[in-house]
Amino acid sequence: MRRSVSRRFVLTGAAVAATSLVIPIALTRTRATERSTDHEITDWIVIAANGQVTLGLSQPEVGQGSYTALPQILADELDADWKRVEVQFVTGRPAYKIAFRQEAPVQKEGASMSTTVLYERLRTAGAAAREVLIRAAAQTWGIDISLCRTENGFVINSRGEKLSYGQLAADAAKLPLSAAPPLKHPSRFHLIGKPVARLDTPAKCNGSAVYGIDVNVPGMLNAAITTAPSFTGQIIAIKNEGDILKMPGVRAVVKIPAIDYRDGSSQPSDGTTRYNAVCVVADHFWQARRALVSLDVTFDGGAHGDLSSDKINAALDAALSAEHGVTALVRGQPRAILKDHAASVIERRFKLPHIAHAPHEPCNATASYNNGAVEVWGPVQSVSACQDAIAESFSCPADKVAVHVTFLGGSFGRKIVPDFVVQAVHASKAVGRPVKLIRSREEDTQHDVYRPNAGAHLRAVLDPTGYPLAVHARVAGQSLFNATRRNWLDHTPEGDWDESMVDGLYNQSYRLPHFLVETVDTPLPVPVYFMRSVGSTAAVFFWESLITELAHQAKIDQYAYRRHLLSADPLALHVLDAAAKAAGWETPPPPDTFRGIAYNCYIGRGGRFKTYVAQVVELRRVADRLAVKRVVCAVDPGLAVNPNTVKAQIEGGIGFAMTTALKSKITFSNGGTDQSNFFDYNLLSIDEMPEIVPIVLPSDRPPQGMGEVVLAPIAPAIAQALLHGTGRRLDVMPFPDDAFKAVTP
Amino acid sequence: MPVTFSVNGKPAEFDGPDDVPLLWVVREQLGLTGSKFGCGVGLCGACTMHIDGAPTRTCVMPIGDLQGRKVTTIEGLSPDLGHPVQKAWIELDVPQCGYCQSGMIMAAASLLSRHPHPTDRDIDQTMTNLCRCATYTRIRAAIHRAAEVAAGTIGSGAPSGTGVP
Repeated sequence: MRRSVSRRFVLTGAAVAATSLVIPIALTRTRATERSTDHEITDWIVIAANGQVTLGLSQPEVGQGSYTALPQILADELDADWKRVEVQFVTGRPAYKIAFRQEAPVQKEGASMSTTVLYERLRTAGAAAREVLIRAAAQTWGIDISLCRTENGFVINSRGEKLSYGQLAADAAKLPLSAAPPLKHPSRFHLIGKPVARLDTPAKCNGSAVYGIDVNVPGMLNAAITTAPSFTGQIIAIKNEGDILKMPGVRAVVKIPAIDYRDGSSQPSDGTTRYNAVCVVADHFWQARRALVSLDVTFDGGAHGDLSSDKINAALDAALSAEHGVTALVRGQPRAILKDHAASVIERRFKLPHIAHAPHEPCNATASYNNGAVEVWGPVQSVSACQDAIAESFSCPADKVAVHVTFLGGSFGRKIVPDFVVQAVHASKAVGRPVKLIRSREEDTQHDVYRPNAGAHLRAVLDPTGYPLAVHARVAGQSLFNATRRNWLDHTPEGDWDESMVDGLYNQSYRLPHFLVETVDTPLPVPVYFMRSVGSTAAVFFWESLITELAHQAKIDQYAYRRHLLSADPLALHVLDAAAKAAGWETPPPPDTFRGIAYNCYIGRGGRFKTYVAQVVELRRVADRLAVKRVVCAVDPGLAVNPNTVKAQIEGGIGFAMTTALKSKITFSNGGTDQSNFFDYNLLSIDEMPEIVPIVLPSDRPPQGMGEVVLAPIAPAIAQALLHGTGRRLDVMPFPDDAFKAVTP
Repeated sequence: MPVTFSVNGKPAEFDGPDDVPLLWVVREQLGLTGSKFGCGVGLCGACTMHIDGAPTRTCVMPIGDLQGRKVTTIEGLSPDLGHPVQKAWIELDVPQCGYCQSGMIMAAASLLSRHPHPTDRDIDQTMTNLCRCATYTRIRAAIHRAAEVAAGTIGSGAPSGTGVP
């Protein structure tokens, strides 16, 4: 069916006359909605008299496809006419919030949790709305509800008479909603489980989709910002402010207080405030940028102006070699066994750097500070974090901070931290007008909230049959939870440990009788945060590389080895077998083709979901190098609400993870980041992208997470294929370029 | 001395410093925000427009060089999403976050105008635009599909596999 291009997209429009880009659904059900012909049926569903159905979207669209998949759930239970559906971002109600681990619910997208957590909630909302529409129709006809059914935006009775949802909306809106309406049997789904075309695609193909950077509000000025290169630095002097203020269009030079990266709030304005950034506010962004380039500002290094990668790596090495870590897990007698078999211990040591999110749309926000009332527009991944940071920074109530969420040009976790929003509010407050603050790519790269570094030292002993008997895993690095979420740390008498450092390592179902997992935190002044797949990209690289090493030394096939160790876990075997079969693993590869296999069960934060993934990478020789040419990826994601977006996550997730495996590295000197733009922090290009064979396995389980789950296995799978092709072991990421040199003539 | 040029068939004028990048003139002065800012140094291609038909990274294109020239932005590629590249992009649901896609589509349109049936090698060598979401798999497939659409072979863009009732 041809997609309608006349569909309105509420998150679109290059120039906006109104003050709000997106108008939230009314805060309470009894308040009038925007037009008197719009009728709010539930928190999520507004039906207009003309039959237009507006579905609320609480989860920011960051490219993951929630803009389509979540409305699908509502529309299916509702039996709406999908062609009459419009999506509108909503905020301001408890219904739109989800709980991450043991915290109070927030409005935020992240942790691959949106579909898993909202599935039942949205089904219930859709079903409850359908029920009141039926009751409204039954009342109109004076018949029993059992004589009514719904289809495609109509209630139809046993005599074949029809009433449209548009005709029924006003009456339905007055009826009380059932808390537990009957849900459809899955056999009756007509949207859920189908590869429905993405609703936001047309707008993203003609330039009409509005991202944060595109926001335009009346009276708006534009700002460019530069921050002290050292994370602990501050402004020492601004020498030519007078000259800058005379430049065309320039309105103000504003010093911005340093941000606490744990929550994105700025330090209080008192005598101790450290001002570490300065922005130039001008009529046009290009004027602000030109002026900023000419600004003569000096920064110092501050308390950790000597931070460098040498120091960071030395601390990591020391942590890996330290006598003790904090025990995350112990079973059996690992220390004793390793000691008894000291002569045959197999060891690997790994080191991974900090990396940057590098969303394609650099961080930016538009803010209006007006007499203590704050309104912001932009690519915000967590509405709640944004409100809280602004409330703390400007002493205003969080729930009065109006946040308008646009499309996000990528985030991967970056835009949860609202530092760039708080900075925009400061700029607006200083000039008394709305300000759009845009970071340059250099600023975005150098003031990211990085994925922490990670290292591991693993020691293992094999049993007489060649399978692992005992493993001691020591994982070290800058602890994300200790830096940003101390309430998520696990506590033991020895100290605290950070689960994200060992995600995918300590909680796998591989058979292993004796296991010790320890962590050592190496705290650093580097701002860090969650980045797509969090610690699992490192921890699964460590773990799967160890398994590879053990199988290699035992001279057992890599697939058979994993199969044996995972034999008690049918869902693990399911994906492993599917990937191996599709890749033709058991058939010898052609000459100059080398394969690698890896497995991971991605366990959602707090155990919210389990997504099983297995990948087979194929390297092929191209001239004198080995190139990643094909990746087979089998996933069991539970019910795939939209197999189209699930496959996209497989394709894109693998490409994203290949950037991490092959290219991403942030280094530090003089207290701050060395890299700045895509020439020294580069991304995978199209000629490096392999063919992807996505296999989505059918499942009876409800929807599990997809956003982050396929990333972790790619690096160890590539490393294993390289081991097969060149004999070389890889113990760092990014993999050195010369690792891909073909060995055979 | 103002620079006069045209954008999407309409006359445009800019009176300001010669070195202001075309990207910002188009985004701010003309309010056409479809072309994006990604790097500012001509590396990512999010800012790609056509200047006299040639694909150009406009974040490093000084407005002073635009005198008398014709600019086409993503907004002007077609009035109705009807360009074969747009049709193919929609049919295959290429975009994820979508931020790179305006530039990507402009680059692909330009590639097809010069190579109506591009090989994978042509694509590899010409499509140097970056995509952080790594939608490259579908970009490649959509370029091939767009070539078919443009040639009038195998239908004219009815979406497949949408599952929409």
